[in-house]
Amino acid sequence: MEQPDPMIHFENVTKEYELQTALRDVTCSIEKGEMVFLTGPSGSGKTTMLKLIYLAELPDQGDITIAGWNTGTLKESSIPFVRRNIGVVFQDFRLLDNRNIYENISLALRIRGIGEREIKARVYEALKTVNLRHKADSYPRRLSGGEQQRIVIARAIVAEPTVLLADEPTGNLDPETAEDVLKTFKDIHAKGTTILIATHNRELYMNSGKRVLRLEAGSLVSREVC
Amino acid sequence: MPTSYAFRLAMQSLKKDKWINLLSMLTIFAGLFIISISFFVFYNIEIATRNLPEKFSLVVYLDNNLGQEKIEQVISAVRAKRAVSSVKFIAREEAFRELKSTLKNSQYVLEGLEDNPLPDSLEVKLKRDAMGSESVKQLAEETKRIKGVSEVDYGEKFLDILQNIKAGVKITGLVLALILCTGIVFVCYSTVKILFYRRTDEIETFKLLGATKGFIRAPFIIEGAAIGTTAGFTSLAAVFVLHHFLFLKLINSVPLFKTVLFPSHVFLLLPLIGMFLGIFGAAIALGRLKY
Ligand SMILES: Nc1ncnc2c1ncn2[C@@H]1O[C@H](COP(=O)(O)OP(=O)(O)O)[C@@H](O)[C@H]1O
Ligand SMILES: [Mg+2]
Repeated sequence: MEQPDPMIHFENVTKEYELQTALRDVTCSIEKGEMVFLTGPSGSGKTTMLKLIYLAELPDQGDITIAGWNTGTLKESSIPFVRRNIGVVFQDFRLLDNRNIYENISLALRIRGIGEREIKARVYEALKTVNLRHKADSYPRRLSGGEQQRIVIARAIVAEPTVLLADEPTGNLDPETAEDVLKTFKDIHAKGTTILIATHNRELYMNSGKRVLRLEAGSLVSREVC
Repeated sequence: MPTSYAFRLAMQSLKKDKWINLLSMLTIFAGLFIISISFFVFYNIEIATRNLPEKFSLVVYLDNNLGQEKIEQVISAVRAKRAVSSVKFIAREEAFRELKSTLKNSQYVLEGLEDNPLPDSLEVKLKRDAMGSESVKQLAEETKRIKGVSEVDYGEKFLDILQNIKAGVKITGLVLALILCTGIVFVCYSTVKILFYRRTDEIETFKLLGATKGFIRAPFIIEGAAIGTTAGFTSLAAVFVLHHFLFLKLINSVPLFKTVLFPSHVFLLLPLIGMFLGIFGAAIALGRLKY
């Protein structure tokens, strides 16, 4: 039986920082349209794994395939085009303080050369998804942590990426808002987006029926369905 | 429209870091202005000396009491020389009349002079390209050997000095322009580099969202071009103001300045030169940055 190519594939990937090994010989796949959780204690390599997917880091050993692009043969000039397949909810948000919410979200479309009229429609659509339409003219600093979190999600989905990566997306949220955010992810997943959520919040994945990849000290120790 | 967004980013940055931008604009302006002034000087010296051969002439004094036929012979011998453009015969009577009229107010100089002390002479004008002091000297020597010629007079010293000034001004101008242009490019280079580093965070976010190199660089190139072009326009304005208020006034009081030319068609290139230098500096800065 021929399996379709996975959306993301790690093959014996090792990533070393100067002082320590962040990922050790990791092999795993995430299928197209799958929703997967990535968990493990703090410092176990979750963020590193996401960074390898959106190419903020490159593996020291092994190689990674992302939507058909392989890190072993990837040219530097192709990196932006790989990234355009991926929406990222950064752990540290990366919102630009000198631009309002509308401008922050529209950036993801501007870099793709999309025209102003379509940008407007899409940005408001994304803001509606996270229930923050009324904040379009606010500046990031004026929003609560939870609101900023949802803005980052809106920016990650506005360009309708094939892959969505979220790094501790509920880390700053109260349980109720966390629930909302998870629901948003599920809606996006339902439209066919492949999603990988790094979290140490058990509530998020217990009884979700989704696969959970568990890291410990950089090694993949379990990949059970919870 | 990605291009218009690049312009918007550039404008934002120009406004945000207005002091840095203004400072580098003024620096570039100063450079372009100095270049303009020295070009102006060089240009005028060049023009003035280019037309000089037509005004400049050799005076060939003839022996006394040469017959008409002899005089004709000398004239055609001189006229045959390659560097000569025209020969005019000035009879001694005519020369004397002229001398008298020149000294109208100091007639006493001529008092007691009953006889005309002046010889017949030829006024020899040179061709434009025969201006080098060497060839004039040679011509003078050759002319002096013609039978019937007693003396040849020409501004030997003057020609030498003129030649030296021309060469000196040319070299000084070129060296100065080269130094200043390098300086201008360097100012743009450092400005863009500073602006780039001040926005490292923002640029990193752009990259992570999938921006290409071109998308990130375009606003900086535009900014460099804008700074250079503005400086160019400012120096153009300054040159015109200087011309208008200083020069046109001077011309009225100092006749020497009447001959001064204002090469406005060249100065109109200033904004273009500024833009080019600005883009060049920005491009070097971005080329040396990693992204
Ligand atoms: N840029 C970096 N330079 C050096 N060490 C790093 C860097 N990023 C992460 N690490 C280290 O790698 C390990 C894994 O980090 P990370 O992937 O952030 O873990 P997690 O997201 O699971 O908390 C940690 O021990 C961390 O200190
Ligand atoms: Mg982390």
